[in-house]
Amino acid sequence: MAGKIIADTLEHSTAGSIATNYVVNGSAKAWVNFNGTGTIATRDSLNVSGLTDNGTGDYSINFSNSMNSSDYAFQGASQLDVTGFANNSDWLNVSGSRSASNPSTTSHRIVVGRVTTEAGFDSLYNYSTYHGDLA
Amino acid sequence: MSEIKVDTLTGKTTANDITVTVGATATQSLEQGLAKTWVNFNGTGTIAADDSLNLSSLSDGGTGLYDINVTSAFARTNHCSTGSIIGDGSTSNRSYALVASISSNTTSKIDIATVNANVTEAYRDYANISVADFGDLA
Repeated sequence: MAGKIIADTLEHSTAGSIATNYVVNGSAKAWVNFNGTGTIATRDSLNVSGLTDNGTGDYSINFSNSMNSSDYAFQGASQLDVTGFANNSDWLNVSGSRSASNPSTTSHRIVVGRVTTEAGFDSLYNYSTYHGDLA
Repeated sequence: MSEIKVDTLTGKTTANDITVTVGATATQSLEQGLAKTWVNFNGTGTIAADDSLNLSSLSDGGTGLYDINVTSAFARTNHCSTGSIIGDGSTSNRSYALVASISSNTTSKIDIATVNANVTEAYRDYANISVADFGDLA
């Protein structure tokens, strides 16, 4: 059986100390790197059970362990369409929540789209991270 | 209150596998939830880091193009990079940070671009750029 330690503070001999609640609360509870083109696929992840393709540039990220509330912090980024951008056209992609109702404790629906046309876009590289408490 | 004084935490069975309780009952890997690299840097002029973790250097690839080179390499190229920037307040220079801009990340670098999101969508240098990266180290 693995050992278990219950502690409130971790202290390094020279680098200072940290309350363990910062370790627990400061750790990402989910993150994913995925290919959003064709048959979408996770490359690497933490606490992600799967992805749902809802349409062009429209994805749901499903959590293995549920979040405690839907008020978690999300950060996302997506790759530029390099060819289009090099031609100075409207291929800038940003990731964001699809709507206020879409973050849920079990999944998060995001959209990836072009800034100037506001059209959805399937991006090759998409990154999302989540901070908050698990249930 | 309990306190542990220690310089290194190592998993008993697997070195990088320590489980922490992160919910009422839910547990997860301590290692996988921690950012392995983060940096706040000035991307204008001679680019320079203001604060960082696991950063060896920054490379300036031209206007709005940067490589974040890490000290300890990632185990795979598929790490997860997100970032944001502080704009200059001008409505004509709205800003977005975009990660993995030109090529995919490698195990030793994070490739980002910062872009002015107005109608021209030109690459642009910004004075306050933040990036965090998650994944296993080698």
